[in-house]
Amino acid sequence: MNDAAYHVKVDKGLADLIPTFMSNRKKELEALRAALAAADFEQLRQLGHRMRGVGNSYGFDRVSDIGRSIEEGAKSGDKASLEQQIAHYGEYLSRVQIAYE
Amino acid sequence: MTAVTDLAAAASRAPAQSAFRVLVVDDDPDMTRFLCLLLGNEGMAVETASDGESAMRSIVASPPEMVLLDVLLPGRGGFEICARLKSDPATALIPVILITALEDRESRVRGIKAGADDFLSKPVRREELLARVQTLRRLHETRRELEARRLAAEVQRKEAIRKAFSRYVSPRLAERIIGSLGSEDAPFREPAQRTDVVVLFADLRGFTSITESIEVHHVVHMLNEYFAVLTEAAYQHEGTIFNMAGDSLLVGFNVPLPQPDAAERALRAAIDMIARFAPVAAAWRRRHGIATGVGIGMCLGEAIIGNVGSPHYMSYTVVGDPVNTAARLTAMAQADEVLVSGTLFDALRSLVSGRRVEPRGDVALRGKSEPVPVYAIRL
Repeated sequence: MNDAAYHVKVDKGLADLIPTFMSNRKKELEALRAALAAADFEQLRQLGHRMRGVGNSYGFDRVSDIGRSIEEGAKSGDKASLEQQIAHYGEYLSRVQIAYE
Repeated sequence: MTAVTDLAAAASRAPAQSAFRVLVVDDDPDMTRFLCLLLGNEGMAVETASDGESAMRSIVASPPEMVLLDVLLPGRGGFEICARLKSDPATALIPVILITALEDRESRVRGIKAGADDFLSKPVRREELLARVQTLRRLHETRRELEARRLAAEVQRKEAIRKAFSRYVSPRLAERIIGSLGSEDAPFREPAQRTDVVVLFADLRGFTSITESIEVHHVVHMLNEYFAVLTEAAYQHEGTIFNMAGDSLLVGFNVPLPQPDAAERALRAAIDMIARFAPVAAAWRRRHGIATGVGIGMCLGEAIIGNVGSPHYMSYTVVGDPVNTAARLTAMAQADEVLVSGTLFDALRSLVSGRRVEPRGDVALRGKSEPVPVYAIRL
């Protein structure tokens, strides 16, 4: 991992929705961590599935990619992979920078 | 159901009341807000539901014009909701777009089986969403317009039929006939058939002196008055008028629809005809100095009912022995008298107590090989 920011270009028409979207992603991260701690793979699968659907609709393709990995990791019960993906998601959310166009 | 999000509502700039109404069903609030924004920007009125149960309640309470339905929902899933909407005639025409993952072929197959009209893949792209929604909207509106036109034409057609029928049968009977149009056993569609009929023949006593002594235009007006009261009486008791000629009126009961109380209806119609005509006759007497009254003959028996004529002219007709017998009885009937054949009288026996009933014995009628027992009934 490096310290570079993750740049995301978002349709300016969605600008009003982004603060709530980002706030929900942070809540989602907490939910993922809690589910992982509880080894609740079904909850992890559902959260991953939701991330996959919503992320790239807003232009956050990496959210969808991480969501897909979490969904698959939850299905296979791969706790190590899930830990890695959730950590990566936290790092992403802390560094993402949004540009409206 | 949640209200339209503030952002979406603002974006939609308060859509007009007639705006196209879309229900978005998704348990992800971000996806819901995203769809609301895009659709609201297009002037559509967007409502939302976050689970299957509230979606069904919303649709039943106020059917939208389109449903965007996520496949994975808490409670009833998108497939179940879609299948339910499509199996109910009240909601089957509402277009449903199922939102699925792009690579989820299995969901698409299940969606097709559930009756989905189209699919939208996640990630949802603005252009694709709007293209699919607008295409389905146009289809939906065209279908709705065609349905409205079809219904209007159907109403117009039935109204025309009702008007036409109402000249021949009672308005209530006309409604029943119109209600059964299209069904295999609709009246007037069947070929001629034999059936029991109560035939009522009414004739104006003193008509000859009217035609000889009164000016033509008065005669026509008087006949109209006469037929008006007799027709009202016939329709009051749901008789079917088969023929109106000169001063005679031929009415049938138990046709074209069965009337278990046909004999009673016929008797009441006959009595009603005499009673309704009495003030008309009194006015004629004052105005023209002539004595008139209604003579009625009635008979029960099997007759042939059906459309008779040529390809150019058809008439719904009753023919057979009870018609001939009723005509003969009418010719014998005095003013304000109802002559009834024996068979019909047997059916009416319990109903005529208290009335002036006079057995006339067995009467030889022209065209009949056997004498017919005849009873006279007066008001």
